[in-house]
Amino acid sequence: MTAVVLDGIVLGLAFGLLGVGMTLVYGLGGVLNLAYGQIVVLAAIVASIVMDDGRATLLAAVLGVLAAAGVGVLLDLTLMRPVYRERGEERTLLGLLLTLGAAFVIGGVLTWRYPDGALYINITGDPVSVLGVPMTRGSIWASVIALAVAALLLLFFGATTFGRGVRSVIQDEVGARLVGINPSFVRTVIFALSGALAGIVAISTAMVGPLTVNAGFELTTFALIVTVVGGLGSVAGAFLAGVLLGVVQSLSAHYIGQYITTIILLGAAALTILIRPRGLLGR
Amino acid sequence: MLEVEGLAAGYLGERVIDGIDLEVRTGEAVAIVGSNGAGKTTLFRTIAGLLPAMSGRVVLDGKELTRRPAHRISRAGVAYVPAERHLFPAMTLKSNLVLGAYPRRPDPATLELVYDLFPRLHERQRQQAGTLSGGEQQMLAVGRALMARPRLLMLDEPTTGLAPIIAQTAFAALEGLKKEGMTLLIAEQQVPLALSVADRGYVLENGRIRLSGSAEELERNPEVQRAYLGVV
Repeated sequence: MTAVVLDGIVLGLAFGLLGVGMTLVYGLGGVLNLAYGQIVVLAAIVASIVMDDGRATLLAAVLGVLAAAGVGVLLDLTLMRPVYRERGEERTLLGLLLTLGAAFVIGGVLTWRYPDGALYINITGDPVSVLGVPMTRGSIWASVIALAVAALLLLFFGATTFGRGVRSVIQDEVGARLVGINPSFVRTVIFALSGALAGIVAISTAMVGPLTVNAGFELTTFALIVTVVGGLGSVAGAFLAGVLLGVVQSLSAHYIGQYITTIILLGAAALTILIRPRGLLGR
Repeated sequence: MLEVEGLAAGYLGERVIDGIDLEVRTGEAVAIVGSNGAGKTTLFRTIAGLLPAMSGRVVLDGKELTRRPAHRISRAGVAYVPAERHLFPAMTLKSNLVLGAYPRRPDPATLELVYDLFPRLHERQRQQAGTLSGGEQQMLAVGRALMARPRLLMLDEPTTGLAPIIAQTAFAALEGLKKEGMTLLIAEQQVPLALSVADRGYVLENGRIRLSGSAEELERNPEVQRAYLGVV
């Protein structure tokens, strides 16, 4: 039981990062990035190519993260421009359609070029005992990375001028413009950050188990669920929801079966919408 | 300081304001008065860059501001306090003020000035902006605008939703700001209140300037008296 919960937490921390990347972009203008899972996969494939080339794992990880951040910026500067010119429902719909298109293009090209593509980062060393449960070094590293990134994010949004500026755009875009903040620039930076987070998720999950080229839509689904449960634009909420859902996923996979887990997670999201539409920590 | 020439703007191709000429000199308080729907908010939104000008120019201290994005106009020294205030509801009052100085760090002297002007804000600095009363939100909106140390402060209907006694207090605060040397441009439906603080005024009707003159001239003008001052 403890082992299952701990595995769930490791998984949940990655979910949390995914959720943050998704929820920030959503909070800044109502766009759900349906290509998010494919950006994770892209980072994984880039890193695996660099590793297959015989380069150091660290270099592969950095290049993977940079590639994902780059794709984020590219999306913002191209596909998202017409989206942000629209308002309200039109913006939401156009955003969904265009990012879904991007998901098919990125996912399609990657599966076509690298049909067996996968990233696995094997971290050698004896398991470490946590609460009497032997955890692999990979799981420990993945958790440490996720927690460190979470701490940096909370610091960034809570204590820096630019981080406050980002939150102000989420809360009232007109108000933000009136105090001298350029929402369009903020969005570009957040798309880059969101991409980088996707890259970090790719690296950290590949330390626990292989991440394959066709994982994109599953990852997007997880990110969507975490966004709904955590609350719009809330970094802390996304992490809380991620860990919670990771534990739920791990428990249901262990005691019921892998096939049912996504359904249970979607059920949790639906329940959240019914009971607390703002999400755990949303406004 | 501020020169507006032949300004036209509106929505969906319709001109809500047209051919607006006005001027605000340094240290002056200027009132834009007019009934609901006369175009006061459209005029302010256009000067602030929230709405693109269809024609005409807006110049601040010789610098062309026309069709610049709102955040650039804000950084050029024009602070606009809209009637809806547009505060950041889930942040503390203090964070709202700090953001007013964006992208600079807040200047402690300016913060002190804001707290002196509105002691209420100092008492409630840790409270979330969304939980403040209407009057407190209005004070916060003005305070946030002042944090940028603007050259020109534009207030749209500062008394919206305020009880009469609080509206009077709000205007007393504006009087104080004017004494400190702040240049003010105020749109207000409550004409007597607006003219009490203003040096000069413009009467806006159907999107055009109908009359202009010193506050005393406007107060004595029979048309103004009939339409806005309730004098029969």
